[in-house]
Amino acid sequence: MTHAFGNAPTGVMHPPEVRLPDDDHFARRARRLEELAERVAPLGDFLHFMAQLAQAQQVALERTTPSWQPGPETFSLALEHGMPPLNVQALRGDIGIRAELDALLDALELHVGQAQRPLLDGLRKLSAEEIGRLADDVLAGEAGDERTRGLMPLVAAALQVAWLRLARSLPQAPARPVGEVRTLCPSCGSPPLASVIESDPQYNGVRYLQCGLCATQWYLERSLCSVCEQSGKLDYLSLAQESDATAPLPAQAEACGDCGSYLKIFPRALDVDAEPLADDLASLALDLLLGEEGRYRRSGFNPLLIVEG
Amino acid sequence: MTLRVTRRQFFKLGAAGMATSSMAMMGFAPEPAVASIRHFKLTGAKITRSNCTYCSVGCGVLLYSRGDAAINNVDDIYHVEGDPDHPVSRGSLCPKGAGLLDYIQSDSRLRYPQVREAGSDEWKRIDWDEALERIARHMKDDRDANFVADDDDGNTVNHWISTGMLAASASTNETAYLTHKVVRSLGMVAFDNQARV
Repeated sequence: MTHAFGNAPTGVMHPPEVRLPDDDHFARRARRLEELAERVAPLGDFLHFMAQLAQAQQVALERTTPSWQPGPETFSLALEHGMPPLNVQALRGDIGIRAELDALLDALELHVGQAQRPLLDGLRKLSAEEIGRLADDVLAGEAGDERTRGLMPLVAAALQVAWLRLARSLPQAPARPVGEVRTLCPSCGSPPLASVIESDPQYNGVRYLQCGLCATQWYLERSLCSVCEQSGKLDYLSLAQESDATAPLPAQAEACGDCGSYLKIFPRALDVDAEPLADDLASLALDLLLGEEGRYRRSGFNPLLIVEG
Repeated sequence: MTLRVTRRQFFKLGAAGMATSSMAMMGFAPEPAVASIRHFKLTGAKITRSNCTYCSVGCGVLLYSRGDAAINNVDDIYHVEGDPDHPVSRGSLCPKGAGLLDYIQSDSRLRYPQVREAGSDEWKRIDWDEALERIARHMKDDRDANFVADDDDGNTVNHWISTGMLAASASTNETAYLTHKVVRSLGMVAFDNQARV
Protein backbone atom coordinates (compact mmCIF):
# COMPACT_ATOMS: atom_id res chain seq x y z
CA MET A 1 0.00 0.00 0.00
CA THR A 2 1.40 3.34 -0.94
CA HIS A 3 0.50 6.47 0.94
CA ALA A 4 1.96 9.91 1.53
CA PHE A 5 4.53 8.59 3.98
CA GLY A 6 5.92 5.79 1.81
CA ASN A 7 5.11 2.15 1.30
CA ALA A 8 3.56 -0.08 3.91
CA PRO A 9 4.69 -3.71 3.71
CA THR A 10 2.02 -5.83 2.06
CA GLY A 11 3.32 -9.12 3.40
CA VAL A 12 6.50 -11.14 3.36
CA MET A 13 8.60 -10.13 0.38
CA HIS A 14 9.38 -13.01 -1.99
CA PRO A 15 11.29 -11.47 -4.87
CA PRO A 16 11.88 -13.82 -7.80
CA GLU A 17 15.51 -14.90 -7.94
CA VAL A 18 15.75 -14.78 -11.72
CA ARG A 19 13.63 -12.70 -14.09
CA LEU A 20 13.43 -13.32 -17.80
CA PRO A 21 13.04 -10.29 -20.10
CA ASP A 22 9.60 -9.18 -21.26
CA ASP A 23 8.35 -9.25 -24.85
CA ASP A 24 8.52 -5.47 -25.10
CA HIS A 25 11.99 -5.18 -23.56
CA PHE A 26 13.58 -3.44 -26.54
CA ALA A 27 10.65 -1.07 -26.99
CA ARG A 28 10.90 0.07 -23.37
CA ARG A 29 14.65 0.46 -23.71
CA ALA A 30 14.10 2.53 -26.86
CA ARG A 31 11.73 4.85 -25.00
CA ARG A 32 14.21 5.27 -22.19
CA LEU A 33 17.05 5.98 -24.63
CA GLU A 34 14.93 8.57 -26.39
CA GLU A 35 14.23 10.27 -23.07
CA LEU A 36 17.92 10.18 -22.12
CA ALA A 37 18.88 11.61 -25.51
CA GLU A 38 16.89 14.70 -24.57
CA ARG A 39 18.41 14.93 -21.12
CA VAL A 40 22.08 14.29 -21.91
CA ALA A 41 22.93 16.84 -24.56
CA PRO A 42 26.59 15.84 -25.16
CA LEU A 43 25.45 12.31 -26.09
CA GLY A 44 22.19 13.34 -27.75
CA ASP A 45 22.87 12.08 -31.28
CA PHE A 46 24.47 8.88 -30.08
CA LEU A 47 21.63 8.03 -27.69
CA HIS A 48 19.06 8.94 -30.31
CA PHE A 49 20.70 6.47 -32.70
CA MET A 50 20.80 3.84 -29.97
CA ALA A 51 17.09 4.43 -29.35
CA GLN A 52 16.43 3.74 -33.03
CA LEU A 53 18.61 0.67 -32.82
CA ALA A 54 16.63 -0.60 -29.82
CA GLN A 55 13.41 0.09 -31.71
CA ALA A 56 14.80 -1.83 -34.68
CA GLN A 57 15.65 -4.67 -32.30
CA GLN A 58 12.02 -4.78 -31.20
CA VAL A 59 10.94 -5.00 -34.86
CA ALA A 60 13.51 -7.72 -35.53
CA LEU A 61 12.40 -9.66 -32.47
CA GLU A 62 8.79 -9.61 -33.61
CA ARG A 63 9.26 -10.17 -37.32
CA THR A 64 12.16 -12.49 -38.00
CA THR A 65 11.96 -16.24 -38.05
CA PRO A 66 14.90 -17.62 -36.10
CA SER A 67 17.35 -19.91 -37.88
CA TRP A 68 16.96 -22.47 -35.12
CA GLN A 69 14.11 -23.14 -32.80
CA PRO A 70 14.46 -25.14 -29.61
CA GLY A 71 12.23 -28.16 -29.07
CA PRO A 72 10.07 -28.40 -25.96
CA GLU A 73 12.60 -30.51 -24.06
CA THR A 74 15.77 -28.84 -25.32
CA PHE A 75 16.63 -26.99 -22.15
CA SER A 76 15.22 -29.27 -19.48
CA LEU A 77 18.49 -31.07 -18.75
CA ALA A 78 20.42 -27.80 -18.35
CA LEU A 79 17.67 -26.27 -16.20
CA GLU A 80 17.50 -29.35 -14.02
CA HIS A 81 21.22 -29.29 -13.35
CA GLY A 82 21.73 -25.56 -12.90
CA MET A 83 23.71 -25.02 -16.10
CA PRO A 84 23.03 -21.91 -18.20
CA PRO A 85 20.64 -23.33 -20.82
CA LEU A 86 21.47 -20.67 -23.40
CA ASN A 87 25.21 -20.90 -22.93
CA VAL A 88 26.82 -18.70 -25.52
CA GLN A 89 29.68 -21.11 -26.22
CA ALA A 90 27.35 -24.08 -26.67
CA LEU A 91 24.75 -22.41 -28.89
CA ARG A 92 27.00 -20.07 -30.85
CA GLY A 93 27.35 -22.60 -33.70
CA ASP A 94 23.61 -23.22 -33.98
CA ILE A 95 22.43 -19.64 -33.95
CA GLY A 96 22.76 -17.69 -37.16
CA ILE A 97 22.12 -14.00 -36.77
CA ARG A 98 21.95 -13.03 -40.44
CA ALA A 99 18.15 -12.76 -40.43
CA GLU A 100 18.17 -10.61 -37.30
CA LEU A 101 20.92 -8.42 -38.67
CA ASP A 102 19.11 -7.89 -41.99
CA ALA A 103 15.89 -7.04 -40.17
CA LEU A 104 17.77 -4.56 -37.99
CA LEU A 105 19.37 -2.89 -41.01
CA ASP A 106 16.05 -2.70 -42.85
CA ALA A 107 14.36 -1.10 -39.85
CA LEU A 108 17.21 1.37 -39.42
CA GLU A 109 17.52 2.22 -43.10
CA LEU A 110 14.96 5.02 -43.11
CA HIS A 111 16.16 6.65 -39.93
CA VAL A 112 19.92 6.91 -39.94
CA GLY A 113 21.90 10.02 -40.71
CA GLN A 114 24.53 10.35 -43.43
CA ALA A 115 27.37 9.59 -41.07
CA GLN A 116 25.94 6.21 -40.16
CA ARG A 117 24.93 5.07 -43.64
CA PRO A 118 28.35 3.52 -44.42
CA LEU A 119 27.92 1.27 -41.38
CA LEU A 120 24.78 -0.23 -42.79
CA ASP A 121 26.28 -0.66 -46.24
CA GLY A 122 29.42 -2.15 -44.72
CA LEU A 123 27.46 -4.69 -42.75
CA ARG A 124 25.36 -5.75 -45.71
CA LYS A 125 28.52 -6.55 -47.63
CA LEU A 126 30.05 -8.76 -44.95
CA SER A 127 30.16 -12.51 -45.46
CA ALA A 128 28.64 -14.85 -42.88
CA GLU A 129 32.14 -15.77 -41.82
CA GLU A 130 33.13 -12.14 -41.21
CA ILE A 131 29.96 -11.51 -39.20
CA GLY A 132 30.76 -14.64 -37.22
CA ARG A 133 34.20 -13.29 -36.39
CA LEU A 134 32.76 -9.97 -35.20
CA ALA A 135 30.18 -11.84 -33.14
CA ASP A 136 32.93 -13.92 -31.52
CA ASP A 137 34.79 -10.78 -30.54
CA VAL A 138 31.64 -9.20 -29.13
CA LEU A 139 30.78 -12.29 -27.08
CA ALA A 140 34.33 -12.62 -25.76
CA GLY A 141 34.24 -8.99 -24.63
CA GLU A 142 37.09 -8.06 -26.92
CA ALA A 143 37.55 -4.73 -28.65
CA GLY A 144 38.28 -6.27 -32.06
CA ASP A 145 39.92 -4.52 -34.98
CA GLU A 146 39.74 -0.75 -35.05
CA ARG A 147 38.52 -0.63 -38.67
CA THR A 148 35.48 -2.81 -37.99
CA ARG A 149 34.83 -1.74 -34.40
CA GLY A 150 32.01 0.54 -35.47
CA LEU A 151 30.15 -2.48 -36.87
CA MET A 152 30.40 -4.51 -33.69
CA PRO A 153 27.57 -2.84 -31.74
CA LEU A 154 25.19 -3.60 -34.62
CA VAL A 155 26.30 -7.23 -34.66
CA ALA A 156 25.90 -7.19 -30.87
CA ALA A 157 22.38 -5.81 -31.28
CA ALA A 158 21.51 -8.76 -33.54
CA LEU A 159 22.99 -11.18 -30.99
CA GLN A 160 20.87 -9.55 -28.29
CA VAL A 161 17.75 -10.10 -30.37
CA ALA A 162 18.61 -13.76 -30.93
CA TRP A 163 19.42 -14.42 -27.29
CA LEU A 164 16.51 -12.47 -25.88
CA ARG A 165 14.23 -14.55 -28.09
CA LEU A 166 15.86 -17.70 -26.73
CA ALA A 167 15.40 -16.43 -23.17
CA ARG A 168 11.72 -15.84 -23.95
CA SER A 169 11.45 -19.46 -25.15
CA LEU A 170 12.66 -20.96 -21.88
CA PRO A 171 9.91 -22.97 -20.18
CA GLN A 172 10.80 -21.35 -16.86
CA ALA A 173 13.42 -19.02 -15.44
CA PRO A 174 16.62 -20.83 -14.49
CA ALA A 175 17.58 -21.11 -10.83
CA ARG A 176 19.81 -18.50 -9.27
CA PRO A 177 23.45 -19.35 -10.02
CA VAL A 178 25.50 -20.58 -7.08
CA GLY A 179 29.16 -20.69 -6.18
CA GLU A 180 31.78 -19.21 -8.44
CA VAL A 181 29.33 -18.38 -11.21
CA ARG A 182 27.02 -16.40 -8.94
CA THR A 183 27.74 -13.26 -10.89
CA LEU A 184 27.38 -14.75 -14.39
CA CYS A 185 24.05 -14.83 -16.19
CA PRO A 186 22.07 -17.97 -15.27
CA SER A 187 20.52 -18.03 -18.75
CA CYS A 188 23.49 -17.56 -21.07
CA GLY A 189 26.62 -17.35 -18.91
CA SER A 190 27.55 -13.80 -19.98
CA PRO A 191 28.90 -11.24 -17.52
CA PRO A 192 26.51 -8.61 -16.15
CA LEU A 193 26.13 -5.16 -17.65
CA ALA A 194 25.03 -3.33 -14.51
CA SER A 195 22.76 -3.64 -11.48
CA VAL A 196 19.35 -2.20 -10.86
CA ILE A 197 17.73 -1.70 -7.45
CA GLU A 198 13.99 -2.17 -7.58
CA SER A 199 11.58 0.31 -6.03
CA ASP A 200 8.37 -1.62 -6.64
CA PRO A 201 6.76 -2.49 -3.26
CA GLN A 202 6.76 -6.19 -4.13
CA TYR A 203 10.55 -6.25 -4.22
CA ASN A 204 11.51 -2.90 -2.83
CA GLY A 205 15.26 -2.46 -2.44
CA VAL A 206 16.19 -5.75 -4.10
CA ARG A 207 19.18 -5.69 -6.42
CA TYR A 208 19.29 -7.52 -9.72
CA LEU A 209 22.22 -7.90 -12.05
CA GLN A 210 21.25 -7.63 -15.70
CA CYS A 211 22.86 -9.66 -18.47
CA GLY A 212 24.50 -7.63 -21.23
CA LEU A 213 23.40 -10.13 -23.87
CA CYS A 214 20.01 -11.71 -23.09
CA ALA A 215 18.76 -9.14 -20.50
CA THR A 216 17.95 -11.82 -17.92
CA GLN A 217 18.05 -10.35 -14.41
CA TRP A 218 19.26 -12.27 -11.40
CA TYR A 219 19.40 -11.59 -7.70
CA LEU A 220 22.51 -10.50 -5.91
CA GLU A 221 22.68 -9.26 -2.33
CA ARG A 222 23.03 -5.52 -1.84
CA SER A 223 26.29 -3.90 -0.84
CA LEU A 224 28.42 -6.66 -2.29
CA CYS A 225 31.06 -6.43 -5.03
CA SER A 226 29.81 -8.40 -8.04
CA VAL A 227 33.36 -9.34 -9.00
CA CYS A 228 35.11 -10.41 -5.81
CA GLU A 229 32.05 -10.64 -3.51
CA GLN A 230 33.72 -8.57 -0.82
CA SER A 231 31.86 -5.76 0.90
CA GLY A 232 34.43 -4.08 3.13
CA LYS A 233 35.76 -1.41 0.80
CA LEU A 234 32.76 -0.59 -1.36
CA ASP A 235 32.07 2.97 -2.34
CA TYR A 236 29.07 4.24 -4.26
CA LEU A 237 30.40 6.96 -6.50
CA SER A 238 28.18 9.27 -8.49
CA LEU A 239 28.44 12.49 -10.41
CA ALA A 240 27.70 15.75 -8.71
CA GLN A 241 27.08 18.59 -11.06
CA GLU A 242 28.81 21.80 -10.28
CA SER A 243 25.86 23.78 -11.57
CA ASP A 244 22.50 22.15 -10.98
CA ALA A 245 21.21 22.67 -14.50
CA THR A 246 19.57 19.35 -15.33
CA ALA A 247 18.06 16.49 -13.37
CA PRO A 248 20.87 14.13 -12.36
CA LEU A 249 20.98 10.60 -13.77
CA PRO A 250 20.42 7.76 -11.31
CA ALA A 251 23.83 6.23 -12.12
CA GLN A 252 26.22 5.19 -9.38
CA ALA A 253 29.40 3.16 -9.61
CA GLU A 254 29.63 0.36 -7.06
CA ALA A 255 33.39 0.58 -6.73
CA CYS A 256 35.36 -2.02 -4.79
CA GLY A 257 38.66 -1.21 -3.14
CA ASP A 258 39.45 -4.91 -2.74
CA CYS A 259 39.58 -5.82 -6.42
CA GLY A 260 39.78 -2.32 -7.95
CA SER A 261 36.74 -2.68 -10.22
CA TYR A 262 33.35 -1.05 -10.50
CA LEU A 263 29.94 -1.96 -11.85
CA LYS A 264 27.24 0.62 -12.36
CA ILE A 265 24.14 0.42 -10.24
CA PHE A 266 20.85 2.21 -10.91
CA PRO A 267 18.49 2.69 -7.95
CA ARG A 268 14.96 2.98 -9.33
CA ALA A 269 14.15 4.97 -6.20
CA LEU A 270 16.05 7.80 -7.91
CA ASP A 271 14.47 7.28 -11.33
CA VAL A 272 11.76 4.71 -11.72
CA ASP A 273 12.32 4.38 -15.48
CA ALA A 274 16.02 3.50 -15.25
CA GLU A 275 16.99 0.70 -17.64
CA PRO A 276 20.50 -0.70 -17.13
CA LEU A 277 21.72 -0.69 -20.74
CA ALA A 278 20.24 2.66 -21.67
CA ASP A 279 21.33 4.35 -18.47
CA ASP A 280 24.78 2.83 -18.73
CA LEU A 281 25.29 4.46 -22.13
CA ALA A 282 23.85 7.77 -20.95
CA SER A 283 26.10 7.90 -17.89
CA LEU A 284 29.31 7.65 -19.92
CA ALA A 285 30.59 10.75 -18.10
CA LEU A 286 30.79 8.70 -14.90
CA ASP A 287 33.03 6.14 -16.64
CA LEU A 288 35.19 8.87 -18.11
CA LEU A 289 35.65 10.59 -14.78
CA LEU A 290 36.45 7.30 -13.06
CA GLY A 291 38.85 6.48 -15.90
CA GLU A 292 40.53 9.83 -15.39
CA GLU A 293 40.77 9.30 -11.67
CA GLY A 294 42.30 5.87 -12.25
CA ARG A 295 41.53 3.99 -9.05
CA TYR A 296 38.96 1.60 -10.50
CA ARG A 297 38.50 -0.32 -13.73
CA ARG A 298 35.17 -1.11 -15.30
CA SER A 299 33.76 -4.64 -15.16
CA GLY A 300 30.38 -4.03 -16.81
CA PHE A 301 29.83 -5.69 -20.20
CA ASN A 302 27.88 -3.44 -22.54
CA PRO A 303 28.25 -4.76 -26.10
CA LEU A 304 26.76 -1.58 -27.59
CA LEU A 305 29.78 0.48 -26.56
CA ILE A 306 33.13 -1.10 -27.31
CA VAL A 307 36.30 0.49 -26.11
CA GLU A 308 39.85 -0.72 -26.28
CA GLY A 309 41.65 -0.64 -22.97
CA MET B 1 35.09 -23.42 -32.84
CA THR B 2 37.45 -22.39 -30.09
CA LEU B 3 35.94 -22.24 -26.63
CA ARG B 4 36.72 -19.06 -24.82
CA VAL B 5 36.09 -19.09 -21.11
CA THR B 6 33.60 -16.46 -19.99
CA ARG B 7 35.17 -14.38 -17.30
CA ARG B 8 34.77 -10.97 -15.80
CA GLN B 9 37.11 -8.59 -17.54
CA PHE B 10 38.27 -5.23 -16.29
CA PHE B 11 38.96 -2.40 -18.63
CA LYS B 12 39.66 1.25 -18.50
CA LEU B 13 37.00 3.41 -20.08
CA GLY B 14 38.75 6.74 -20.17
CA ALA B 15 38.88 9.80 -22.36
CA ALA B 16 41.91 8.39 -24.23
CA GLY B 17 39.99 5.34 -25.43
CA MET B 18 37.04 7.29 -26.77
CA ALA B 19 38.73 8.33 -30.03
CA THR B 20 38.94 4.69 -31.13
CA SER B 21 35.72 3.54 -29.44
CA SER B 22 32.85 2.03 -31.37
CA MET B 23 30.96 5.27 -30.70
CA ALA B 24 33.54 7.32 -32.62
CA MET B 25 33.79 4.65 -35.33
CA MET B 26 30.04 4.85 -35.80
CA GLY B 27 30.33 8.54 -36.59
CA PHE B 28 29.41 10.12 -33.25
CA ALA B 29 31.91 12.64 -31.99
CA PRO B 30 32.99 11.70 -28.47
CA GLU B 31 34.50 15.13 -27.76
CA PRO B 32 31.39 16.78 -26.23
CA ALA B 33 31.01 13.87 -23.78
CA VAL B 34 34.70 13.98 -22.91
CA ALA B 35 34.53 17.74 -22.40
CA SER B 36 31.38 17.47 -20.27
CA ILE B 37 33.18 15.75 -17.41
CA ARG B 38 34.75 19.06 -16.43
CA HIS B 39 31.34 20.08 -15.08
CA PHE B 40 31.16 17.12 -12.72
CA LYS B 41 32.91 15.91 -9.64
CA LEU B 42 32.70 12.53 -7.96
CA THR B 43 30.85 12.14 -4.69
CA GLY B 44 31.03 9.02 -2.61
CA ALA B 45 28.64 7.19 -0.33
CA LYS B 46 28.97 4.06 1.72
CA ILE B 47 26.31 1.50 2.52
CA THR B 48 26.84 -0.39 5.75
CA ARG B 49 24.85 -3.44 6.76
CA SER B 50 23.65 -3.35 10.36
CA ASN B 51 20.83 -4.39 12.67
CA CYS B 52 18.10 -2.32 14.21
CA THR B 53 18.64 -2.39 17.97
CA TYR B 54 15.15 -1.39 19.00
CA CYS B 55 13.78 -4.85 19.66
CA SER B 56 14.85 -8.46 19.78
CA VAL B 57 13.76 -9.18 16.20
CA GLY B 58 16.92 -7.37 15.07
CA CYS B 59 15.73 -6.42 11.56
CA GLY B 60 18.44 -5.89 8.98
CA VAL B 61 19.10 -2.30 7.98
CA LEU B 62 21.30 -0.59 5.43
CA LEU B 63 22.92 2.61 6.65
CA TYR B 64 23.91 5.14 4.00
CA SER B 65 26.72 7.49 4.88
CA ARG B 66 28.24 10.24 2.84
CA GLY B 67 31.90 10.63 2.37
CA ASP B 68 34.67 8.62 0.82
CA ALA B 69 37.97 8.84 2.66
CA ALA B 70 39.83 9.61 -0.54
CA ILE B 71 37.50 12.27 -1.86
CA ASN B 72 35.64 14.25 0.77
CA ASN B 73 35.82 12.91 4.24
CA VAL B 74 32.43 13.70 5.71
CA ASP B 75 31.04 11.03 7.99
CA ASP B 76 27.34 11.52 8.06
CA ILE B 77 24.50 8.99 7.97
CA TYR B 78 21.82 10.38 5.68
CA HIS B 79 19.51 7.48 4.94
CA VAL B 80 18.40 4.22 6.55
CA GLU B 81 16.40 1.52 4.82
CA GLY B 82 15.39 -2.09 5.46
CA ASP B 83 17.85 -4.69 4.19
CA PRO B 84 15.98 -6.69 1.54
CA ASP B 85 18.49 -9.53 1.87
CA HIS B 86 17.95 -10.03 5.59
CA PRO B 87 16.50 -13.53 6.10
CA VAL B 88 14.16 -12.47 8.91
CA SER B 89 12.90 -9.00 8.07
CA ARG B 90 13.33 -9.09 4.24
CA GLY B 91 13.45 -5.37 3.90
CA SER B 92 10.58 -4.53 6.25
CA LEU B 93 10.90 -2.06 9.09
CA CYS B 94 8.32 -1.16 11.73
CA PRO B 95 7.75 2.52 12.60
CA LYS B 96 10.58 2.39 15.16
CA GLY B 97 12.99 1.04 12.57
CA ALA B 98 11.73 3.37 9.86
CA GLY B 99 12.49 6.27 12.22
CA LEU B 100 16.08 5.19 12.93
CA LEU B 101 17.58 8.10 11.08
CA ASP B 102 15.97 10.54 13.50
CA TYR B 103 17.32 8.61 16.50
CA ILE B 104 20.81 8.71 15.00
CA GLN B 105 20.64 12.41 14.35
CA SER B 106 18.69 13.33 17.47
CA ASP B 107 20.05 16.29 19.42
CA SER B 108 19.30 14.51 22.68
CA ARG B 109 21.06 11.30 21.65
CA LEU B 110 23.24 9.89 24.44
CA ARG B 111 26.81 9.72 23.16
CA TYR B 112 28.84 9.25 26.37
CA PRO B 113 28.30 8.46 30.07
CA GLN B 114 26.77 11.23 32.12
CA VAL B 115 25.94 11.55 35.80
CA ARG B 116 23.43 13.68 37.68
CA GLU B 117 24.72 13.84 41.22
CA ALA B 118 22.27 13.61 44.10
CA GLY B 119 20.78 17.05 44.75
CA SER B 120 22.04 18.44 41.43
CA ASP B 121 19.87 19.35 38.43
CA GLU B 122 22.69 19.12 35.92
CA TRP B 123 24.06 16.29 33.85
CA LYS B 124 27.85 16.08 33.96
CA ARG B 125 29.95 14.21 31.42
CA ILE B 126 32.25 11.54 32.88
CA ASP B 127 34.56 9.02 31.22
CA TRP B 128 33.82 5.33 30.84
CA ASP B 129 36.27 4.22 33.53
CA GLU B 130 34.70 6.49 36.08
CA ALA B 131 31.20 5.44 35.08
CA LEU B 132 31.95 1.73 35.39
CA GLU B 133 33.82 2.31 38.64
CA ARG B 134 30.88 4.14 40.18
CA ILE B 135 28.27 1.67 38.98
CA ALA B 136 30.31 -1.21 40.41
CA ARG B 137 30.67 0.65 43.70
CA HIS B 138 26.91 1.26 43.98
CA MET B 139 26.14 -2.34 43.10
CA LYS B 140 28.62 -3.72 45.62
CA ASP B 141 27.41 -1.45 48.44
CA ASP B 142 23.77 -2.23 47.77
CA ARG B 143 24.40 -5.98 47.46
CA ASP B 144 26.43 -6.06 50.67
CA ALA B 145 23.58 -4.28 52.46
CA ASN B 146 20.62 -6.16 51.02
CA PHE B 147 21.72 -9.61 49.88
CA VAL B 148 19.49 -12.34 51.34
CA ALA B 149 21.11 -15.75 51.82
CA ASP B 150 18.29 -17.46 53.71
CA ASP B 151 14.62 -16.53 54.01
CA ASP B 152 12.61 -16.46 57.26
CA ASP B 153 11.81 -20.15 57.00
CA GLY B 154 15.48 -21.04 56.76
CA ASN B 155 15.43 -21.87 53.00
CA THR B 156 18.56 -20.92 51.07
CA VAL B 157 17.51 -18.31 48.51
CA ASN B 158 20.71 -16.30 47.76
CA HIS B 159 18.86 -13.43 46.13
CA TRP B 160 19.36 -9.72 45.79
CA ILE B 161 16.09 -7.94 45.13
CA SER B 162 16.93 -4.30 45.79
CA THR B 163 18.62 -3.79 42.38
CA GLY B 164 17.34 -4.65 38.93
CA MET B 165 18.87 -4.90 35.47
CA LEU B 166 17.49 -3.79 32.13
CA ALA B 167 19.49 -5.31 29.28
CA ALA B 168 19.57 -4.30 25.63
CA SER B 169 17.74 -5.99 22.79
CA ALA B 170 19.26 -7.34 19.60
CA SER B 171 22.27 -8.73 21.42
CA THR B 172 24.09 -11.73 20.04
CA ASN B 173 23.55 -15.09 21.72
CA GLU B 174 26.99 -14.74 23.28
CA THR B 175 26.22 -11.32 24.75
CA ALA B 176 22.88 -12.58 26.07
CA TYR B 177 24.61 -15.59 27.67
CA LEU B 178 27.24 -13.43 29.37
CA THR B 179 24.68 -10.87 30.53
CA HIS B 180 22.60 -13.61 32.07
CA LYS B 181 25.60 -15.24 33.78
CA VAL B 182 26.80 -11.97 35.32
CA VAL B 183 23.39 -10.82 36.50
CA ARG B 184 22.04 -14.15 37.80
CA SER B 185 25.28 -15.13 39.53
CA LEU B 186 25.05 -11.94 41.58
CA GLY B 187 21.66 -13.16 42.78
CA MET B 188 19.70 -10.47 40.96
CA VAL B 189 16.12 -11.49 40.17
CA ALA B 190 14.63 -8.33 38.68
CA PHE B 191 15.92 -8.69 35.15
CA ASP B 192 14.29 -7.67 31.91
CA ASN B 193 15.11 -6.88 28.33
CA GLN B 194 14.51 -3.75 26.40
CA ALA B 195 12.92 -5.87 23.69
CA ARG B 196 9.73 -6.11 25.74
CA VAL B 197 9.57 -2.47 26.74
